[in-house]
Amino acid sequence: MRNPSIIIGLIMLALIVLLAMAGPAVVQQLLFPGERPGMRGSYRPYQLDSPQHPIGTDGDGRDGLMVFISSIGPSLQIGLIAGATSTSLGVVIGFLAGYARGRLDTLARILIDMVLVIPTLPLLLMLAAYIERWDLYKLSLILGIFGWSFVARVIRPQVQSLRERSYVDLAVLSGENPLEIIFLELLPPLLPYIGYVFSLSIVGSMLAEAGLQIIGLGAGGLPTLGFMIAKGFRESVIAIGLIGQMLLPAGALIYVFLALNLINTGLDEVFNPRLKTTIEGGD
Amino acid sequence: MTADSSSVALTNEQQTAERREVFQYVLRRFGVYLFTLWAAITVAFFIFRLVPGDPMNILLGNITRAEGRQRDAAEQEVIIARYRKIFGVDDPLPLQYVNYLRKAILGGLDLGPSFVEYPAQTKDLVFRRMPWTIGIFTTSVLLAWLVGTGLGALIGWLQRSRLSQLAVVISTLLQITPVYLVALGLIIYVGYTWRILPAGGPYARHLQPEWTWEFISSLLTHAILPMLSNMIVIGAGFTLGMRALMISVLGEDYLTFARAKGLSPYTVLKDYAFRNALIPQVTALAIIVGATLNGTFIIEVLFQLPGLGTLFVQAMGLRDFNTMQAVVLFSIFAVLTLTLIVDLALPLLDPRVRRTA
Repeated sequence: MRNPSIIIGLIMLALIVLLAMAGPAVVQQLLFPGERPGMRGSYRPYQLDSPQHPIGTDGDGRDGLMVFISSIGPSLQIGLIAGATSTSLGVVIGFLAGYARGRLDTLARILIDMVLVIPTLPLLLMLAAYIERWDLYKLSLILGIFGWSFVARVIRPQVQSLRERSYVDLAVLSGENPLEIIFLELLPPLLPYIGYVFSLSIVGSMLAEAGLQIIGLGAGGLPTLGFMIAKGFRESVIAIGLIGQMLLPAGALIYVFLALNLINTGLDEVFNPRLKTTIEGGD
Repeated sequence: MTADSSSVALTNEQQTAERREVFQYVLRRFGVYLFTLWAAITVAFFIFRLVPGDPMNILLGNITRAEGRQRDAAEQEVIIARYRKIFGVDDPLPLQYVNYLRKAILGGLDLGPSFVEYPAQTKDLVFRRMPWTIGIFTTSVLLAWLVGTGLGALIGWLQRSRLSQLAVVISTLLQITPVYLVALGLIIYVGYTWRILPAGGPYARHLQPEWTWEFISSLLTHAILPMLSNMIVIGAGFTLGMRALMISVLGEDYLTFARAKGLSPYTVLKDYAFRNALIPQVTALAIIVGATLNGTFIIEVLFQLPGLGTLFVQAMGLRDFNTMQAVVLFSIFAVLTLTLIVDLALPLLDPRVRRTA
């Protein structure tokens, strides 16, 4: 895998994972030895940027940088767990639906369409309001369960279209059984697409989570990047002059999405060599 | 291409058979549509009922707050009992469900009274708010799709030029930015810091809805930022999607063959590359509908537009089942119907997706 996009994407991702894991401890050691920068009321709220507080303090009297650094981890975890859940569910169902003909296909399609059209945002909002204390896993699983239908919906037509191609007919004629056809003929060309969908699901889950927070009925008190942005918007931190408290979490979200996107693009080129030859050899 | 030439050679009998097949496909697809609609509504109904929390207590709390005095327990009981009767929540759940469906279908979309603006009918409330959501949603999605598809096809075709590489980088950055961050950015910078365009509310506060130029222009200027937020993100997505599709189509053998035949680049682009890349792009339009509707709801809330998203959030605070359900019903209906349209249009575009059972 010497693809530059993948390498850059992976490095970017590794860096932010490192920041999420080691960041809080490092900031604590370097800037606030013996203090509790993440505790409410540790400092005077809404202090402007200073050497002591590089992006100021937030409305609860916590250090902004500390809040930011410790918000990254939960956001990433939510994306990963939810993305993995929805992709695995979606790929299995999408393949079943796309490969099967007749009644099973119809059934699977009805199921997919049904779940797909139940709008997730209102339901998530409702769940968010009813469930008193969200834990991270509960939220991730729920996001994942709401997300599989999208994966299945996009995988199914791909499988269906591939299945109609002549090389698959040839494989059928040469006596391959359905499992062989699925794993040897249909899955390989779709791998980049599945990787792409996985990455999209991660992004989608992180998006949904942050969206919930921003619309203002967020998952009670989960310290994520979305929560920080939502809080910043509600407290108009930009008007106060604490631009960093909005831009850093927003930037971090976009950074993660960019890293995933690069990995995506790279995967596409590695698994689908035609893309590359077209780019290099096309006129 | 092969499909076109072979259909010319079809006998009458084959044509009739093919037509019957298409008819059956449409019929089956429509049946599936109705079933899905029913199933989704049913699931939504029970999800809303199964979560704990009594809306009546919240309603009572509001009445108390509005009147500014505490009632005694007996009086509260009476009030709660009265409202429970009005909203029909005393019946057992299956009966509630049957009543709900009966009224919704036979009663001309009678979805019961709303708490949000009691005693206004939920139906009226939804119809009053709907134009905002539909307006922002359809305008921005269609514009984004048109711009994105055209731009993407162009970038994909000119894949090696500097300009198209720059366009890819820019659209990638825009596409990965969440729509609400774009909205927040526009509100904060364009709306409040630079004060170029209004960034909150449906129209200027001193105006009344009427057919005057002043009102309409106010309406339009207020709509620019919400639509722009949606358009930027979705449009960039469509651009990249179309570009990727173009590139993969350009790698196909029949394209090499078309070039080798000596067809003009324009013909190759228009009839061979663009048309084939367009099929998944239409599917993408259907898929994005649900997500975009979610995004539109968030945008409404952020820009304080009186659409369905805002209505839902209001209803949410009061546990107003009827209204929440009506909004969800609308979303389900919208997404399903658009998917149906796309699915029915797809076989027209792609002979490969033909239902041969």
